[in-house]
Amino acid sequence: MIVVTGSLKRRMAAWLLVTVIGLGALLMIEAWVSSRQAADRAFDAQLEAAALSISEAVQWQDGRPEVVIPVSALQILATSSQERVFYAVLDSQERRLSSNWEVTIPQALRDSVRKAPLETALHTAYGELRVYGREVSAPGWVSQEPVQVWVGHTLGGRQTLALTLFKQAVSRFLAMVLLAGVLMALTIRVALMPLRRLRHQLRLREADDMRPLDAEVPKEMHELVQTLDQLFTRQREGREVLLRFTADASHQLKTPLAGLQTISELALRSSDPGQWRAALEEVHGSAERTSRLAGQLLSLARLRHLDDAPQRQRVELCGLMRDVALEWAGRDEANRHDLGLDTLPTQPLWVEAEAWALRELIGNVIDNALRYTPAGSSITLGLRREENEGCLTIRDDGPGVPEEQLERLCRPFERLGRQGTEGSGLGMAIVDSIARRLGGHLKVANLSPSGLVVELRLRLAEEEAS
Amino acid sequence: MRLLVVEDDSLISRSLTQALTSLGNTVETFSTYRTAKEAIHQGAFDLLLLDLGLPDGDGLGLLEEMRERGDSTPVLILTARDNLDDRVRGLDLGADDYLAKPFQLAELEARVRALLRRSQQRTENLLRLGPLMFDPATGAASLDGCALSLPHRERLLVESLLVHAGNIVPRETLESRLFGFGEVGSNALEVYVSRVRKRLKGSGLRIRTFRGLGYRLEEEQG
Repeated sequence: MIVVTGSLKRRMAAWLLVTVIGLGALLMIEAWVSSRQAADRAFDAQLEAAALSISEAVQWQDGRPEVVIPVSALQILATSSQERVFYAVLDSQERRLSSNWEVTIPQALRDSVRKAPLETALHTAYGELRVYGREVSAPGWVSQEPVQVWVGHTLGGRQTLALTLFKQAVSRFLAMVLLAGVLMALTIRVALMPLRRLRHQLRLREADDMRPLDAEVPKEMHELVQTLDQLFTRQREGREVLLRFTADASHQLKTPLAGLQTISELALRSSDPGQWRAALEEVHGSAERTSRLAGQLLSLARLRHLDDAPQRQRVELCGLMRDVALEWAGRDEANRHDLGLDTLPTQPLWVEAEAWALRELIGNVIDNALRYTPAGSSITLGLRREENEGCLTIRDDGPGVPEEQLERLCRPFERLGRQGTEGSGLGMAIVDSIARRLGGHLKVANLSPSGLVVELRLRLAEEEAS
Repeated sequence: MRLLVVEDDSLISRSLTQALTSLGNTVETFSTYRTAKEAIHQGAFDLLLLDLGLPDGDGLGLLEEMRERGDSTPVLILTARDNLDDRVRGLDLGADDYLAKPFQLAELEARVRALLRRSQQRTENLLRLGPLMFDPATGAASLDGCALSLPHRERLLVESLLVHAGNIVPRETLESRLFGFGEVGSNALEVYVSRVRKRLKGSGLRIRTFRGLGYRLEEEQG
């Protein structure tokens, strides 16, 4: 039973998607951060340049600083984005020498600018600003009051630039993912090609073609192909067994049919009613044997059929033995034998088995005993408990079987040289098949001074909890 | 006796007709489900021999329909299907006996005789085998027309054996019939059997012992 759980391609695609999404998220964050940083760097440099240009325009007249803001400085700051630009030039008393700036710069910032130029963010009534400040001293030998130059602008330009940079990064990434996806799909297709070839080859195969597969496959699929080859080998062997069995069976059926044909042919040539009668008697006996043979072949085939999984149920052995013994003792075939039953155990013996199979087994052994022992022989069915096993016995006081042939007794079509007596040589093969099916142990042994005993040991079922 | 054979194989139905007619019966044969059904509806038969695999239906259906109608004509099923399920189903549906093909004519004749005897006993209310006769209503037995005066337990034994004449009667059945459910000595039954045997001596009937199984009242052969 094969359970299909999604497609291989889909599974690979899903894994790929998860990975790409995870990786993509990280890349996006990184792209955003670096775009921001790049935009900041560019605009900070502009602020610095503007501040420098204003600083250079500071003049000292009589020790007093004066400034005319150069247009170039403001042009540097005027970007394409609609942003507001602020500047302020402060003397040491914090008076505004020139300014378009209403914002007060915090004391802390002004103090730190005295040591080194500084760039920082500033929250004002105009929103967040980026400001740059530096202190300028008068050149020359005369000590003068230093002047602080502050420039700043709103963040619109930076954000626009950062967004543009980010968009570019994203589109590059998306293009790459798309390309990778296409390549991946192609790769999967190419990689699965051997599998498709194998499928094609299997599909074109004839139903009874059991030769090993002749396929070129990558290393990963080698095991699959090997397993398939093993399956084919097993099937081939199974089929050979079946063919041999069918051939044997046909041969077995052909023999009595050929006999029938010759007997009837001879009788038809003759005009003596006495010979007709003799021929008819032979025909009758032979037809009987043939139909029994056909029945046995059917049982054997049914027993060996794999699909026919055993359906076990609890069976009580004492009752079953009594039933089978009664059934067989009442038959016409048993009239010339003494078929009896030993005293049965007083406790019931339960086993897990198929009742029909057990009946068939016992019946076949009884049938064999009736056929291969002389009239008047006694056949006795017995049952005893031995620890956790039930032990069924069917014994007769007939001639037994030569020791060296005992082990061949259960093979199909063996009649142990008793070709003269009627019988197909299938009975014990059926018995053996049933014993295997029931998981029992079968033993056949000679008795002293004479006779044969067939013993089947079956594991007893657990006692009922009640 | 009027017998109905429902069988689609002409060779088998011909041989059945021949064998059963020679026993002194009238035999009618039908080979399809439909014609057989009509025949069953029309005439009163004493026994029906029914093949299960008919070309236009399952013989079991015919049996089921008969029993539903309350028709209790004895039915002997003949079939090549010998698996147990079919057998059980057939007997469950009210078949009286079951014979798997291929069968021996001698066995078929014996079964037919037994069924006919049983159906006759049903109508006559008399148990009978060969010269032995028993009236369950009065408990009177007779052999070759002469009344047999039997003590109580011998009478019970003769009755039990006659009810199942031709079949093995398990010893447990006989023991509980003769002695109730109390403890019984191991050879108590054998004592009564040998007494009845003595009475039957020379009548052409005998009681055969089956070791460990029971007894069968049968007609001596040859």
